[in-house]
Amino acid sequence: MRAAVYNLMATGLLAGFLAASPEPAVAQAQSITVYTSYEEDEAAAFLVAAKKDLPDIDVKMLRLSTGDLAARILAESANPQHDVVWGWAVTNMIDPRILALLEPYEPKGIDKVAAQYRDAGKKWFAVTGYMAAFCVNNERLKAKNLPLPTSWEDLLDPRFKGEVVMPNPASSGTGYLQIASIIQQRGEEKGWEYLKGLDKNIAQYIKSGSRPCNVASAGEFAVGASFALRAIKNIAEGFPITMVIPKEGAGNELEANALVAASKKKDAARRFLDWTLSPGAVNAYYDWKEIVTVAGGRMPERFVKAGLPADISSAMFKMDFARAGSERTQIIDRWKKDIER
Amino acid sequence: MTRRTALVASPGVVPASDERILTLAVTLAVVLPLFSFFVLPLVAILSKSLATSDGIGFGNYLRIIGTRRFADLVINSVVMSGLASLITVALAFVFAYATQRCRLPGRELLTLIAMLPLFAPSLVQAQGLVLLLGRNGLLNRQFGFGIDIYGFWGVVIANVLYAFPFALLILAAALAVGDSRLYESARVMGAKPWRMFRTITLPGARYGLAAAFFVAFSLIMTDFGNAVVIGGDFNVLATEVYNQVIGQANFELGAVIGVVLLMPAILAQFVETRLSTRQVQAVSAQSRPLDIRPELVRDTAFGIVAFLIAGLILLVIGTVFFASFVRLWPYNMSFTVRHYAFDVQNGLAPLWTSIAVAFMAAILGTAMTSLAAIVVQKFPSRSTGLIVLLSLMSSAVPGMVLGLGYVLAFNNPANPLNPLYGTLVLIPILIVYYMHAQGFLITLTSLKQISNSFDEAATTLGASRLRTIMTVTMPLIWPSLVSVGVLFFMRAMVTLSAVIFIISPTTQVAAVSVLQLSDRGAVNQAAAFSVCIMAVVIGALLGLKLLLALCAVRDVRLIR
Repeated sequence: MRAAVYNLMATGLLAGFLAASPEPAVAQAQSITVYTSYEEDEAAAFLVAAKKDLPDIDVKMLRLSTGDLAARILAESANPQHDVVWGWAVTNMIDPRILALLEPYEPKGIDKVAAQYRDAGKKWFAVTGYMAAFCVNNERLKAKNLPLPTSWEDLLDPRFKGEVVMPNPASSGTGYLQIASIIQQRGEEKGWEYLKGLDKNIAQYIKSGSRPCNVASAGEFAVGASFALRAIKNIAEGFPITMVIPKEGAGNELEANALVAASKKKDAARRFLDWTLSPGAVNAYYDWKEIVTVAGGRMPERFVKAGLPADISSAMFKMDFARAGSERTQIIDRWKKDIER
Repeated sequence: MTRRTALVASPGVVPASDERILTLAVTLAVVLPLFSFFVLPLVAILSKSLATSDGIGFGNYLRIIGTRRFADLVINSVVMSGLASLITVALAFVFAYATQRCRLPGRELLTLIAMLPLFAPSLVQAQGLVLLLGRNGLLNRQFGFGIDIYGFWGVVIANVLYAFPFALLILAAALAVGDSRLYESARVMGAKPWRMFRTITLPGARYGLAAAFFVAFSLIMTDFGNAVVIGGDFNVLATEVYNQVIGQANFELGAVIGVVLLMPAILAQFVETRLSTRQVQAVSAQSRPLDIRPELVRDTAFGIVAFLIAGLILLVIGTVFFASFVRLWPYNMSFTVRHYAFDVQNGLAPLWTSIAVAFMAAILGTAMTSLAAIVVQKFPSRSTGLIVLLSLMSSAVPGMVLGLGYVLAFNNPANPLNPLYGTLVLIPILIVYYMHAQGFLITLTSLKQISNSFDEAATTLGASRLRTIMTVTMPLIWPSLVSVGVLFFMRAMVTLSAVIFIISPTTQVAAVSVLQLSDRGAVNQAAAFSVCIMAVVIGALLGLKLLLALCAVRDVRLIR
């Protein structure tokens, strides 16, 4: 009996390993690996569009959060496993260690992308982006008898003490774009002064960019500084929250695409990058993203209903991305020294 | 371990050189994989800690270690982990005593409930605590308590919940065996229960207690999930690793803190060596199994505490279960099953991948950890200390650090094992070496309780060591091997922080789906996915029970 059990176990193990070993190379050589940080549901929708327009390319996609993906790409840098980076924060992309892994490429139709949304060195171009927004819980606001904040300035009101959460800029890209925009808007000195004042009201610096909105949606806190799309999706889910775009102009971040220099399937990778500027892709982007850098689509109804202004550029602060990228270490170090708890 | 009593000289049935070759072979079988799948990845990432802008050196250490913030983080980590581990071990000991040494109804059920936290990703349990105790949680909403769970106490509670099953596994294994003759003699000599407890039970469980504390401490010290969800601004070393590595892509400083986190494990190795030399063997050749008689006062007291603990665990897990069937927590509590229509990438497919991973991890993990324990206990050599150290060190490595180490080590074309990278096989291997200490300690604890006199008798009768192990040791410890397999299966279903760096587009696992759902605020769907994971684990346990019953094996507790 025991021998039989052992045999069974051995067979099972073997079968498991065989089943798990890499599939034999598919006859169709056009298979590329794409790393992305688009949110889970967006990425899935975009991928459907890509597969429809590029039936002969087998796009294998791995979705990780911005920070996880940075760690992954850097850890793999000796032997990159991906061909394309798709929809990944520009402030991460312009890290010199990342840029070193990329190859310049100008996709078809790059002229549609304004110069401020692409790299002068041609290593990346951004077709989408996201912007900061507050998620304000209506129920909690009422229970605590608080006014609806409309700007960063409003959050200094002492009545908000312990009711505001924001991402920790040291661990979250959204958190960094928020404080970078505040410093760029107000200037070095006034910016830091403001952040120190705001600190008095902050209940927690949360380690992810989407979580402040999620906890505000759950009613744990009244205001969660997060990004607009998270607010729009949570409103669609039915949470009793209001999306507020700060009056000072919302900080924002671009999501860029790039070709990996070590790719062994550059033809297919280039075709995929061309596709990211094609009407098929742009249509899909307009369905999901509040910021699309090329013309050709309209903002969906649910965005407007959630409170996004039709002319999005009026609500956005004109970020200096190069400056935000180059100052990153210095700003985060100072934030950790002066503010982090 | 090297100070064991000399084995009785072999009467020469097996030549001594064969024994030496066997020792060498089994030692290599343990050491080689430990080096390839644990040391190498660790060296790969730790060498980063020495890389500075001006060459190799300790610059990164100097930059961190002198700072005020670092001192605070160390104090936070040690105080929180120490307190949470003490609470965990105390509760787990009472619970183990109740299930192993008292006559209670529903012992199996109690143990199953106690193990529930192992069945779901820890992320979801912390979420469950927030749903229950958060500022807008059920308790505050219904009763208007002013509870604020975020911070030190929140992290302590979440971590006790997280580490409790691990401590319980070890302590239950330690209390499961005993020699009833000792208790009878004591009773005859007029010893009171408390005295028997102090002089027989406690010394017998000493190794288990130390092991349980060590495992709990390491688990809690290196966990960042609970601290991230429920810690608020209470920061610990593990969250600082996360900040450095994930937030700022700064492997160098992250690795430095990773090295600091290894310290408790190395310390524990010394404690372990000291303790194990004084371990009393609870079972010897003349032992008679424990005969637990009903005793009203004791059974009632321990029963109440055990059911209370189980109730609290059930409350948290139950909240998660409940949330998965609620339309929109906490605003619309009407019943729905819509969260079970997963709109996450690949739907339920990652769950099937995880099941395959879990089976492979169970088999590999049982084989590798029990082999390691047997080699340590039965084939002492100069490398014994090294094997123990490496086996235990795994629990002190933050999952994130080991996972990134795997990328660095196995994505390197110069590594002969490079073809494993990107395949499904690497995931169970990573889980086995990530959870190595827990499996190793369960087997080692039961091995240590078996008296050497069995070996001595077998050897005197002319049996080789291999034969002794196959015919004497294995039949005694195989139930704990089954529970090691169960442990690996359960952990493989839910482990997140280590595997997130080695999943590829074709090898998505269930825990990552839960993270993706939770990331995008779909709390109810994340809960629903966790319920599916729990269902798989419970289903697997029942299936295994049935299989054992069919093989006419009874009286094996899968989760001990």
